[in-house]
Amino acid sequence: MNPARRRAIAVLSLAGLPRAGLAGVAYPDVRSGASIAFPRDHGSHPDFRTEWWYVTGWTTDASGVDRGVQVTFFRNRPGIAESSASAFAPRELLFAHAAIADAGIGRLVHDQRAARAGLGLASASTSTTDVRLDDWSLVREGERYRARVRARDFAIDLAFAATQPVLLQGERGVSRKGPLPGQASGYYSVPQLDVDGTIAVAGRTHAVRGRAWLDHEWSSAYLAPEAAGWDWIGTNLDDGGALMAFRMRSRGGGTFWAGGTLREASGRTRTFAPHEVAFIPGRPWRSPRTGIVYPVTFEVRVGDLSVTLDPLMDDQELDARGSVGIVYWEGAVRVRGPGELAGRGYLELTGYGEPLVL
Amino acid sequence: MTNALQVAGAVMQGAFGANSGRTAIATLAIALGVALGFAIRTVNQSAVDEFTAGVATLSGNADLVVRGPGDGFDESVYPTIARLGAVAVASPVVEVDARLPGRDESLRLSGIDVFRAAAVTPALVGRGGTALDLLRPDRVFLSPAALARLGLASGDELVVQAGTTVLTFVVGGSIEASAGQLAGAVDIAAAQDAFGRTGRLSRVDVRLRPGADVDAARAAIASVLPAGVSVARPSDAADMAARMTRAYRVNLDVLALVALFTGSLLVFSTQALSVVRRRTQFALLRTLGLPRRRLAGVLLAEGALVGAAGSVIGIAAGYALASMLLRAFGADLGAGFFRGEAPAPSFSLLSALAFVALGIAAAAAGAWLPAIEAARASPAAALKAGDDEAMFGRLASPVPGIACLGFALAIVWLPPVGGLPMFGYAAIALMLVGTLLLLPRITRAILSRVLHPRSTGAALALDSLRAAPGQATVSLAAIVAAVALAVSMAIMVASFRESLADWLDRVLPADVYVRSGGATGSAWLAPEDQRALASLPGVRHAEFLRATRLQASDGDPPVTLLARDIDRAQAAQRLPVVGETTDAFREGTAPAWVSEAYADRYRVAPGTTIRLPIAGRNAEFTVAGVWRDYARQTGAVIVERTVYARLAGDDRVNDAALWLAPDATPGRVRDAIDAHFGRDRVTIATPGEIRAISLAVFDRTFAVTYALEAVAIAIGLVGLSASFGALALARRREFGVLRHLGMTRRQIGAMLAAEGAIVSAVGLAVGLALGGAISVILVHVVNRQSFRWSMDLHLPAAQLAAFCVAMLTLATVTALASARRATAGDTVMAVKEDW
Amino acid sequence: MIVLTRLARAWPGPPPRPLFSGLDLAIARGEIVAILGESGSGKSTVFNLIAGLDRPDEGEVAVDGVVLSSLDDDARTRFRRERVGFVFQAFHVLPYLDVAHNVALPLALNGVRDASRDARVAALLGAVGLADRRSSMPRELSGGELQRVAIARALVHAPAVVLADEPTGNLDPRTAAAIVALLRDTIKASGATGVIVTHSHAAAAIADRVLALTPDGLVPAQA
Repeated sequence: MNPARRRAIAVLSLAGLPRAGLAGVAYPDVRSGASIAFPRDHGSHPDFRTEWWYVTGWTTDASGVDRGVQVTFFRNRPGIAESSASAFAPRELLFAHAAIADAGIGRLVHDQRAARAGLGLASASTSTTDVRLDDWSLVREGERYRARVRARDFAIDLAFAATQPVLLQGERGVSRKGPLPGQASGYYSVPQLDVDGTIAVAGRTHAVRGRAWLDHEWSSAYLAPEAAGWDWIGTNLDDGGALMAFRMRSRGGGTFWAGGTLREASGRTRTFAPHEVAFIPGRPWRSPRTGIVYPVTFEVRVGDLSVTLDPLMDDQELDARGSVGIVYWEGAVRVRGPGELAGRGYLELTGYGEPLVL
Repeated sequence: MTNALQVAGAVMQGAFGANSGRTAIATLAIALGVALGFAIRTVNQSAVDEFTAGVATLSGNADLVVRGPGDGFDESVYPTIARLGAVAVASPVVEVDARLPGRDESLRLSGIDVFRAAAVTPALVGRGGTALDLLRPDRVFLSPAALARLGLASGDELVVQAGTTVLTFVVGGSIEASAGQLAGAVDIAAAQDAFGRTGRLSRVDVRLRPGADVDAARAAIASVLPAGVSVARPSDAADMAARMTRAYRVNLDVLALVALFTGSLLVFSTQALSVVRRRTQFALLRTLGLPRRRLAGVLLAEGALVGAAGSVIGIAAGYALASMLLRAFGADLGAGFFRGEAPAPSFSLLSALAFVALGIAAAAAGAWLPAIEAARASPAAALKAGDDEAMFGRLASPVPGIACLGFALAIVWLPPVGGLPMFGYAAIALMLVGTLLLLPRITRAILSRVLHPRSTGAALALDSLRAAPGQATVSLAAIVAAVALAVSMAIMVASFRESLADWLDRVLPADVYVRSGGATGSAWLAPEDQRALASLPGVRHAEFLRATRLQASDGDPPVTLLARDIDRAQAAQRLPVVGETTDAFREGTAPAWVSEAYADRYRVAPGTTIRLPIAGRNAEFTVAGVWRDYARQTGAVIVERTVYARLAGDDRVNDAALWLAPDATPGRVRDAIDAHFGRDRVTIATPGEIRAISLAVFDRTFAVTYALEAVAIAIGLVGLSASFGALALARRREFGVLRHLGMTRRQIGAMLAAEGAIVSAVGLAVGLALGGAISVILVHVVNRQSFRWSMDLHLPAAQLAAFCVAMLTLATVTALASARRATAGDTVMAVKEDW
Repeated sequence: MIVLTRLARAWPGPPPRPLFSGLDLAIARGEIVAILGESGSGKSTVFNLIAGLDRPDEGEVAVDGVVLSSLDDDARTRFRRERVGFVFQAFHVLPYLDVAHNVALPLALNGVRDASRDARVAALLGAVGLADRRSSMPRELSGGELQRVAIARALVHAPAVVLADEPTGNLDPRTAAAIVALLRDTIKASGATGVIVTHSHAAAAIADRVLALTPDGLVPAQA
């Protein structure tokens, strides 16, 4: 990929993450006590600096092959050209990322899109989840989400039917990301989505079923200046339960902030404070492409629960320096807990190469 | 092989031994012709390469490019194109030629959407600064040439004009645009906002999905485009540019070929004389058993060798000349077709080889007749003196020459081929060849009418010329060709210049002209500016003009639409109309006055209905008249401004023409305009200034043709000198006899000077007549067909007279000097010389 | 009257090779003298010295009392034009002039333009037997005819001296005999002094006096 293209798309990677110091625009904060209301909050929050809809899941085709799937849409308000009369004014930027984890291929197959919102080619609806970027889209239709991705090397056309109610993260949907009041996001998840549709990869189209997880998060101050990156998991437990945990790693290597939520199959939900969450890295894996070392197994503790994470395959690094300008690891993992507790989910590791400088 | 080489050696001895000086001159003449041709080709190639590179940079890896008129088209077309199935990425562009206050040149600014441009035209995506700067409305990224020329670096401010006000961008970094271009990139939204282009696009670059059928995609895109917006492959733009300038380039090529032709004539005279000189030597070789064919072959090879040596020198010299020309005049040799910095000369091995081949062919062609003659000569006869004229007996029949001239007359008025006046050029070549074939006959006819002079020397000179018109022809051929070329070019240029001057007087009737910018420019005069100009003190009357470019039909170069304040009834008087006009306009149509180029290209005449795409819809007009336009080669149409404003909803203008009150002066009005708008916001000029600039540009354009003429004449003179030298050398014994019989050195000199003067006068006379005839073809056929403009024939009498005197003097002196050199030493003893 | 006094000439060196020295000769008006010599003996040099085309290293050449070496180039040119007629081995008839104009050339060079010129030319052409060829071009003539033209040209302006250099060198023996006879007759008829330089005894035979050029000087040739 040519350098110009790399740089152009780097705009959105940076824009996708909070950034201080842009003059002229007052971004609203997500504050404790803010109330989440649907269907309004399924939609876009264009006043906030950044926002994403993140679908991750495990699928199985007719011959029993497991594949991980990731479809992500980001929205960013860079805070420029706000008063422009042009239909092209870059007030709102959209970008999207999709990947398939296929152990038969041995590494992620991925692609991305970027555009400024407008002229009917890229948009994020404010009334419900309806994000479109050229011929990529994630749309909420009733209780189902529909993701369509036509990428360079693969295609995704999947329906995600909700089987459980929305899971509000943090304090009734306000997830703290740091000690300061504004360091928080609006955050809810939809776990245990029933997946049905097709995946085309390596020249073949597979009819697949599976389970997926949707995150929708918006913020104007996501990553505190002290933080280098984060570790995150979202897992669907086989018994119907759902576990989300994250930690913001400080630049020194320790944990700067953390949080998590466990909703048991019964519906009982527990929210964990920063000190109740621990990510204990296990086996390291060194990327042959970037040389970056990621812990690809973890022991994650939330409260008195401890689970171990094992990846579908080690190489789920998403080397997007050539496109979005950063490198991260976003992979399908198997979850094991005490007794019969088991599940499948996604692990996200950012800031391992160099700290995310935003 | 050794044997063959020995034979060749035996024959060529003398050509490269005793005659080495003359052979060197012939070699140089071929070198000069090849150098000129190759230099012009290299310059042209560099220009086209530069332009193609520019187009390539601009269109990047686009498969198709959608383009509209100068002021753009509605942006709603863009998402429609982007959503078409075959389209992978559509990249919208707003293009503005930003006026830089206080500078003559403008900056081509591209307003781009980096997210789209990155995939299609990566060279336009800025580098340097932070990534988000690419989207900031106040950032501009400049080409290296622009940074250098404007003396700017990242962080500096760039001031550009929008309308009649200025705005400031911060230089965010650079773009990769091809070396010479003064170009820059800004965010597309910023470009729309800053230059009043909201809702409009200039271009959409399209990359198709892998495997998509380009022609089908092109058709699909074309079907959603409004009138006046077209879709083409990016290479089409370069092709079109190449096509637009092809006539000009071919013109120069032909001039260079004439130089090569003159070189070929010089090889002819050198070889002819050298063969005459070596006649006895050849007779001996033939007697010893050298076959005819071998002798002819070796003599042809001799010419080819001269051609090869000359060509190799010529290629090197031509490349050096091209570099020099590019630095001095720019890629278009001053003609104004290509803008921007001088490109590096691009060396093409293929065209170098082609020119080497051409040089060898020219030299071999020159050697052909003498070689055949030498081979045909009977060895016994050749040993006898006095048959020097035999070779020219072959030219005795007037049939081929008259046939050439007749054929020239028959084809000269045929229409152009592919936009090029091929038949015109062919007719010129035929006239040249025909005249040269008839030259011995013409020379004899002229000489027989010259009265015998009293001076014994001059009388002897005339006698010697009358007896051997063939040998005189050898000296004459090159000079006739050179004079004909120079005279025809001089007449053509004078006709053009005079016609241009008349035309300028006609199209500049006002007292002061105000210009904001061109059709795609960033500067314009809004209605309030127009009102302000009209009501300035001292301004009695103001007329305004809106210029924009239209795509009149797909694949054609754009047509300039000039919407101006013009009174239908007075148009015929106000415009430089040629031919009839009509005031019978078809029901519901307004009048349009089309330029000759437009009328030719679209085959329209007064009364024809034409459709012009204005604001996305085709509007019908009736052609009211055809006018002469020297300014816009690809065609222009004048319509009434009120009609255009109603159709386009565009009330801006580019130019204003001001008529002053009796007591006002241009100077004071200029001050008033500057005071109103601020300095340098508009260009203000009087008709006199515009006339002077236009004629200066004209003269610069033709500077190259003057240079070519000078070279042709130099070659002609060198040829004259060489053949006179050779003839004098061949006549050493004769001079020796005359010295015995009591002629002084001075008398022999006078005789040779008289011969030189007579030959030059004949050459001049024939050259003048031939040049006059060729100039008629140049004016009425070549220029009309190449550039689609008509002009009136104008004879620069004083210039031609001065030229004749200078040529006569130069030729006489040249002839005398070369003869002197040849007769230096003891000619008296030459009577004893044997071959 | 031609007088050669202690004439010496060497090939220009280096080193100079003496051709002859101390050469004395007096030729009376109306006398015809032949000078015989081997190639390289210097007989052509003697010819050139008498024609005023070359200067001696020592000694002098006087024609009718005028010492040639005292004259400048222009004066010697005038001397040749007015007083000398030449006949060459290779004829040297100008190819671009017809017979009459070739014969008339010395008269033209001497500024004779009136009707006497045509009469004089006609007379000479008659004398050499070419009266009917006056308008022919040289290329139409045979070698013998060309030499007749040359003889007419040599005598047309009534020179005091006729110099002939190998006049039969390019001719066959029969033609040569006719030409030398003609040469003698015409010179005698005009009263001019004749000098014939040749290696041909046959050509020399027409002379009143035949001398051989040897390193020891001019000695009477053995018949």
